[in-house]
Amino acid sequence: MRAIDLAEQVPTVHKETTGAEAARIVAEFRLNGLVVADDSGVPIAVIPGSQLLSVVLPQYVRDDPHLAHAYDEQAADDLCAKLTTVTIGDLIDAKRLTPAQLPRVEPDATVVEIVSAMSELHYPLIVVADQARFHGVVTMSRVLAAIAQAAGQDSDLIRRRLDKDIIDRGRSGYLSEAGGDTARGAGEDAR
Amino acid sequence: MTLAAWLAVAVFASAYILIATEKLNRAAVALGGAAAMVAIGATRGHAMFFSEETGIDWNVIFLLFGMMIIVGILKETGVFEFLAIWSAQRAQARPFRMMVMLILITAVASALLDNVTTVLLVAPVTLLLCDRMALPPVPFLLAEAMASNIGGTATLIGDPPNIIIASRAGLSFNDFVVNLAPIVVVLLAVFIGLAWLLWGRRLAHDPERSSAVMALTPRETITNAALLRRMSLILALVLLGFVTHAVTHIEPSVIALLGAGAAILVSRLEPDTYLEDVEWETLLFFAGLFVMVGSLVHQGVIEQLARSVTSLIDGNYHVAAQGILVGSAVLSGIVDNIPYVATMSPLVHGLVGPAAGLPPEEASLWWALALGADLGGNATAIGASANVVVCGIAKRNGHPISFWEFTKYGLIVTAVTILCTVPYVTLRYF
Repeated sequence: MRAIDLAEQVPTVHKETTGAEAARIVAEFRLNGLVVADDSGVPIAVIPGSQLLSVVLPQYVRDDPHLAHAYDEQAADDLCAKLTTVTIGDLIDAKRLTPAQLPRVEPDATVVEIVSAMSELHYPLIVVADQARFHGVVTMSRVLAAIAQAAGQDSDLIRRRLDKDIIDRGRSGYLSEAGGDTARGAGEDAR
Repeated sequence: MTLAAWLAVAVFASAYILIATEKLNRAAVALGGAAAMVAIGATRGHAMFFSEETGIDWNVIFLLFGMMIIVGILKETGVFEFLAIWSAQRAQARPFRMMVMLILITAVASALLDNVTTVLLVAPVTLLLCDRMALPPVPFLLAEAMASNIGGTATLIGDPPNIIIASRAGLSFNDFVVNLAPIVVVLLAVFIGLAWLLWGRRLAHDPERSSAVMALTPRETITNAALLRRMSLILALVLLGFVTHAVTHIEPSVIALLGAGAAILVSRLEPDTYLEDVEWETLLFFAGLFVMVGSLVHQGVIEQLARSVTSLIDGNYHVAAQGILVGSAVLSGIVDNIPYVATMSPLVHGLVGPAAGLPPEEASLWWALALGADLGGNATAIGASANVVVCGIAKRNGHPISFWEFTKYGLIVTAVTILCTVPYVTLRYF
């Protein structure tokens, strides 16, 4: 299987998307990372899910993890509520999110090349693009599904994982009501 | 002076400028300067490594190293966070009362540990408290940086310049407590008054916001109560070791290393955890600095300078002490007080010799150097390492403190504290 076969459409966010909206999208689509796109829908950065989690924490709690224990329930809720007032762009500007250079593979990249790029960069998502256009994103779960199938561990769920893009599964399933304006497919605009 | 001596002065001056302007990493500059001293023949291996006067002062390096490990392990218990939040709650989360409590905690912890580590631990809690109370954190952070420099002045281990002075002058922990702690208590009271005038009177109290601080759960921050009990015992024994130096004659560096060893044994932490808190860059900076200053001593530059200053003083130690006090305060604001004291200590040593057995008026030069350099560190954002650390934390958390904002308050605090110290030196030693 090549990268072009594994590429799928995933919801994207923009610099104007608030932290709370980004959290909702990640939760709704069970993503392990977020693709940030520009106004024309072209991916410009990928943010691993672990970084998004740490955004909830103020810098001083990240500096001193003992402080996390001092929060009561109300204080913890207040912290989460603050995510409605900051955007992904704010977080990137404040260096609280540090998306690396867009992790990318060519459409004809093999599974080994994809796995190699993902492990080298420690990113759970990788963009599939050539000079002309973006084809979508390979997620860690889809590449593992391909590996499992190749290793003889096939099943209905594995096939479903390989056949249906994240964004389609979200739209057709229980997430249909929650798609929202901010969730758009990576590469959709470029196609 | 010989050609090597002139070259040594040139290397030293160039390195000093680079350190003061902070254009390059200070450890790299100090080590580069040390290498240049070797290259020009101003020092040699034996003088660098095996002489306290002309080389690396291992007592200073290992005292710092030992204390860094002890504090690094103590930090794992969460006790500093507990103390800060508990004190804010004791102050009923009223802004100025909270500031006073944080000033006192910072000053006492700085005297017993070291001021850089103290602000590293207190500043994040302060940001949490201010966040909960919707208060501007900058006044609190500035007050803590300055309190750490004032509190650290009281003891041998409180401020790195004191460690250097103690080693060069042969002064004990008790000497520092007896000579400096009384004036530091006075200065802290004065500083609290200044804090009210500079910041406290403008801090608004919102009872609803205060309840958010009262709801915090400080006990939860203590994540390892058993380790805290063991570490409290070790810290008490280390302090006892410092205090009983006159009886045991065990060097402070050895006591700190023994304490660090005991702390490692009882904590059973992985080396990565406690070595993470060792500031290798600072230790390398000290080593390079000692080699550079030692080269000047080795080449007789300091001795010649001391002779010139001695003839200038002409036995008037009162003027000399006040001159060193005020001059050190001014210069420590311009350059980091660590390289300043590393340079001045051999000079004072050349003027009056080791402190042991000196009459009070001559010993006053050592105390004037300590007071001037430690308190002068408050003058600017780069005057002391604690200031640099606090400004860094503030910036990372979205509350940048500009050089001039720090200096605006720092100059007032330094001027007032030095003005209070001038009569103390006169009354105490003359």
